Amino acid sequence: MFEFPQFLTIPLAEWVDAGMSWILTNLGTIFDAIGTSILALLLTIERIFLWIPWIVTILAVGIIAWRALRQWWAGVLFAAMLVLIGSFGYWDLAMMTLAIIFASVIISLLIGIPTGILMARSNIFQSILKPLLDAMQTMPSFVYLIPALMLFGLGKVPAVFATIIYAIPPVIRLTNIGIRQVPKSVIEAAQAFGSTPKQILYEVQIPLAIPSIMVGINQTTMMALAMVVIASMIGAKGLGMQVLLAINRIEIGKGFEAGICIVFLAIIIDRITHAMAARKEYSMSN
Amino acid sequence: MENTALTKGSSQRSQMCIQVEDLWKIFGENVERCFSPEMRASSKATILEKTGCVVAIKEISFEVQKGEFFVIMGLSGSGKSTLIRCILRLIKTTAGRILINGDDICSYNDQQLTHLRRNTTAMVFQQFGLFPHRNVLDNVAYGLKVQGVAEEERYIKAREVIDKVGLKGWENYLPSTLSGGMQQRVGIARALAIEPEILLLDEPFSGLDPLIRRQMQDELIGLQEEVQKTILFVTHDLDEALKLGSRIAIMRDGEIIQVGTPEEVITTPGNAYVREFVQDASPAKVVTAKNIMEQPKVLLYEWQGPKAAMHTFRTTMTNSIFLVSHTGILLGLITLERLVKLIRNRGNSLKEALEPDLPTCTADTVIEELFPLAVSTMHPIPVVDEAGRFMGEIYNSSIMISMIQEKETGETEESDKEESHV
Repeated sequence: MFEFPQFLTIPLAEWVDAGMSWILTNLGTIFDAIGTSILALLLTIERIFLWIPWIVTILAVGIIAWRALRQWWAGVLFAAMLVLIGSFGYWDLAMMTLAIIFASVIISLLIGIPTGILMARSNIFQSILKPLLDAMQTMPSFVYLIPALMLFGLGKVPAVFATIIYAIPPVIRLTNIGIRQVPKSVIEAAQAFGSTPKQILYEVQIPLAIPSIMVGINQTTMMALAMVVIASMIGAKGLGMQVLLAINRIEIGKGFEAGICIVFLAIIIDRITHAMAARKEYSMSN
Repeated sequence: MENTALTKGSSQRSQMCIQVEDLWKIFGENVERCFSPEMRASSKATILEKTGCVVAIKEISFEVQKGEFFVIMGLSGSGKSTLIRCILRLIKTTAGRILINGDDICSYNDQQLTHLRRNTTAMVFQQFGLFPHRNVLDNVAYGLKVQGVAEEERYIKAREVIDKVGLKGWENYLPSTLSGGMQQRVGIARALAIEPEILLLDEPFSGLDPLIRRQMQDELIGLQEEVQKTILFVTHDLDEALKLGSRIAIMRDGEIIQVGTPEEVITTPGNAYVREFVQDASPAKVVTAKNIMEQPKVLLYEWQGPKAAMHTFRTTMTNSIFLVSHTGILLGLITLERLVKLIRNRGNSLKEALEPDLPTCTADTVIEELFPLAVSTMHPIPVVDEAGRFMGEIYNSSIMISMIQEKETGETEESDKEESHV
């Protein structure tokens, strides 16, 4: 009586499994192609990051932070954080983590911004995509690891793939919102002067949505950073892997070191992208 | 009879810039129901009740001639903003025709419409509609940019127009750093930059404070004298309509209830609504010198001698007469006092007896502007045309009488209304 009826069992798990194996057998080549191109991008970025001498990276980050935040101490502080990461012996791992983040964010933006624009132009598309984005963000992030693992095997590529899925919603959402928030009166004026829909998009809507898109980029980057740590469970080498190893071996000290490196990276990336977004907004309202 | 009306219509057609014929805009579903004869006769409220459709504009017809300053006036919700947007097809019309230079733009495809908006028309908005991410120069040059004009050329043109609206030196500022009045100057400059044939202004000065508004109105009048565009101007402010318009259409509930010159609207309101609307408007603002000027009983001519002039004074029993040249140019005013002095001094040219500092006005001067002139002199005020030719004279008493008459009619109507309320 109080038990849920047996006959109402819906074997969703089996269906998903069946779907996955169908995709694997039939679309394997497509995913292979995607995998190799992701890998190529990732390795290029990683190689560049590892190739740049550490002192150049630290100086560059310091200068960028100083220019973006308009405060000299921010540059010094962020440079010091990077020095600390190096002194823990995690420089190379940090660069690898950064490379995964960069690759994921680049791909996320390439897909996310056009999707956001489409979403802003079509109410139907918006009503389809919105629940999908909600689901993507509320789904526990570990869940993405499984299909990523099945499609691309172990390693960095599935890590990038899972990171993209987890990190892409904010940039889509905020591009959509940014374009929809462009005042009607401005669009009307553009129309009245004979702008084509394409001209309205490129001359008016996108430029005015940039502050919002920048916030989206900031959030996407932060979510990518969060996911990269989790993605180390499927073999992405980097700082996250160190945390994982420390947990397995119960090495509190090592875990703390790696953890603090991740926090440093988060602070640096967040503050710099945030300042850039805020600057865009400021220059427009004044 | 009908035939003559038709030929007259077609001969005027070449002069017509905008013609609106039986234009409708209805929001809602199954709008066809609103076109039945029964519905045509009903009011906006009845149609809404019976069909659920909102009639924004109903059976609108009017014509605007080339170079005319046409004002559409109505309170909020009267459909005036919808109407002006229909003319650019920023809003799709439901029925009727809009002819611009004889071409029905309701049948235009996107390409033709873009061409029209880029080259023939330009619009100024109440909320300015400036691009917040572009500086003043790029805002003004926008219309040229979408036309595909090269950067250098469009900046030259834009700077020229910015100069014209008095914003020189502000080219590199963003709109948000400018005051409301200056922002609207940018709006006007942006519209003028493409050298449109037709300028549409949707309550351009409504958001500005009164002092700036008056200044902008005066500047617009000045600009119009310079550029001579066909202007369609929407406003809810009667004083503004009377000041700017060469003709005014008064709208209410989506319909035009009267079209006429400012004077016609004030002095012969078409119905009770218009009368109520204009009753506070002072006729001093619209009645012009030509309405109250009189032909002088007698004039003096420059070739006449002082003695002959004295004879004229004696026979007409006046103490001042205007002196004109043989081409009719006003030379001045001769008073009896000065003439007597001239004769006593044995002078022989009437020009020596002219009253100094003679005020003059033109036929278009409104009564309001005549008041200070009337106070400054005891003599009649001469009316002259652009060439300085004498056209007539205005007595202080005529100015007074014109005001009193208007007041009286206003009062009787008011008392009528009170009676009907009882």
